[in-house]
Amino acid sequence: MNYFKLTWKNITRRKSRFFFTLSAIAVGIASLVTLLSLGSGLETEIRKQADVLGANLVVTPRGWCAYEQISVLTGETLPEAIPNADVEKIAALEGLTAFPYLTQRTALKNQPVPLIGILPTAMKQFKNWQIDQGRYVLDKANVVVGSGIAKQFELASGDLLRVRGQEFSISGILQEVGNRDDLAIYMDFATAQKLYAVGDKVSFIAVKVDDITRIDHYILQIQEVANVEVSSDKQLLKSVLAIVGSVGSALKLVAAVAILAAFFGIVNTMMTAIYERRREIGILQAIGAKKRTIFSLFLCESACYGLLGGIVGVVVGFVFSWFAAPYIGQNEFTAFLGSEQSVQLFNAGITLKALVFSVLVSALAGVYPARQACKLSPVEAISYE
Amino acid sequence: MNNPIIRTEKLTKVYDSGYRTVALQQVDLQIPKGSLSCIMGPSGHGKSTLLHLIGGLDRPSSGKVFLDDVELTAVTADRLTEIRARKLGFVFQFFNLLPVLTALENVQVAMMLAGISKREQEERAAELLKLVGLEDKLRARPNQLSGGQRQRVAIARALANDPEILLMDEPSGNLDSRSEAELLEQIGKVNAQGKTVVIVTHSEKVAEMAQQIIYIRDGQLVLGKEIKEQLTMGERV
Ligand SMILES: Nc1ncnc2c1ncn2[C@@H]1O[C@H](COP(=O)(O)OP(=O)(O)O)[C@@H](O)[C@H]1O
Ligand SMILES: [Mg+2]
Repeated sequence: MNYFKLTWKNITRRKSRFFFTLSAIAVGIASLVTLLSLGSGLETEIRKQADVLGANLVVTPRGWCAYEQISVLTGETLPEAIPNADVEKIAALEGLTAFPYLTQRTALKNQPVPLIGILPTAMKQFKNWQIDQGRYVLDKANVVVGSGIAKQFELASGDLLRVRGQEFSISGILQEVGNRDDLAIYMDFATAQKLYAVGDKVSFIAVKVDDITRIDHYILQIQEVANVEVSSDKQLLKSVLAIVGSVGSALKLVAAVAILAAFFGIVNTMMTAIYERRREIGILQAIGAKKRTIFSLFLCESACYGLLGGIVGVVVGFVFSWFAAPYIGQNEFTAFLGSEQSVQLFNAGITLKALVFSVLVSALAGVYPARQACKLSPVEAISYE
Repeated sequence: MNNPIIRTEKLTKVYDSGYRTVALQQVDLQIPKGSLSCIMGPSGHGKSTLLHLIGGLDRPSSGKVFLDDVELTAVTADRLTEIRARKLGFVFQFFNLLPVLTALENVQVAMMLAGISKREQEERAAELLKLVGLEDKLRARPNQLSGGQRQRVAIARALANDPEILLMDEPSGNLDSRSEAELLEQIGKVNAQGKTVVIVTHSEKVAEMAQQIIYIRDGQLVLGKEIKEQLTMGERV
């Protein structure tokens, strides 16, 4: 006989209570793990996308909310709002290069696919794109396609595709770059404007500056020539992360409530167990268990709930976030999660954190009941029939 | 033989939960080493209270208890627990065994608390259960045992750490006469090994075996003439 065996026999004596208490803590920990694994996936993905843009400044129309700014990073369709004239004025400024984007959407085999209007030569240089197949031609009749889209829809150079009733030929397929640029069709800028009847407007402008130390100076200059909002990529990243953070806080609240409920569940289970077992506690004390031993025995029991519930919770949490990721990815806020690989099936850091947290919370829940247990006097516990 | 292993001085216990009950009053008592003593008296007159006090399970309201010249009433709770684990074995009136554990494990727990290794625990627990005639019930849970068998497991457990003193509270209280006879045999064996045994009992048969009978009425020792009036057996010290 040893203390662990005794603990185990005690917590498993009431199977259904054991099961429900364990479930409560498992649910709490599972939601925490889901939150952590989705959350960390989300943030890495956002940072990656911000890098993809590769720009120092982003010029957006005045009055865009943060929601739309996220879409700059995710490549969602955006309202077109900056006139060509402004693009030209900004492009004409010393020491910077401007890349206008017109982000639209088309459909391939009934599935939505991003279509982006760009300045072909400038963009190719800026992004340092290489051609995998065919040639890089974007004009009134030709488009190029990112490698991911080509693979998904089995497209090859020379294939034809229809956009808004007009036929285009795929002149080339881009080499894989490993980010969201792989997942779009690229069209000549002016052609796209005409095709989508957006007049002479663009969605936003990415700006690359020659001298990164003078970024504030460029912002002022741009705002002098055009009535637009200018943010640095860092600001953009920050505001987007803030939004994601607020979504995260809501999830955190859910996890906190679940864990708090589990906490009181354990307190309740332990109090009930101690009441039921007060005679046994008396016997143990009579045959030589010190108060300290009784205290540790019950603390161990509640910590045990934390360890077991934590293990179950971690497994469930990872499985859940694995399955939930693609669905959450369809939400605009979390569209970054589009690719599943951004959610890890297993993360040792999160596992360790969750388990330690689970054991700590459960042990804490056991402190008050365990104190009550060791306050029992052996005589009172054994005196009555 | 005659130097006392247990001695009390003006032992008094007053319960005060709601209303006052004087359970024990000014009890002076000596129990010789190696003796078999009985505590007798009507229900609710303080027999269990006395047993608990001399076993260090409870603290008196006033007075002293000495065990081998250690003043139990003056030591810390932890020290008291240690003394209980090493020197005393208990068999209680109503409830003795942990229901989730087997007979063997119940005996082992006492040794576990005394810090005895697992191997030794198993060997010795099996030996003790054999001694009380339960070698075929090692893996049985308390609810699979009869009342008499449970009491015998409790005795085996009480002997687990080879205590000098065995304290029993109405061990034969709800046993049939055959079980009682078996129990008495066990008790006789234990006493023959030189252990001091104190038994609270109503049983005349137990009293017959005793070298000393302590008669309690209204929380007080009844002495001399009164004893002879009230005991059919009489005192045989
Ligand atoms: N924990 C307690 N709280 C209050 N009164 C008690 C307690 N234990 C015993 N008593 C009272 O003390 C008296 C003696 O009890 P007890 O020693 O159990 O008697 P016995 O064992 O002789 O039947 C009884 O009147 C009983 O009601
Ligand atoms: Mg009693």
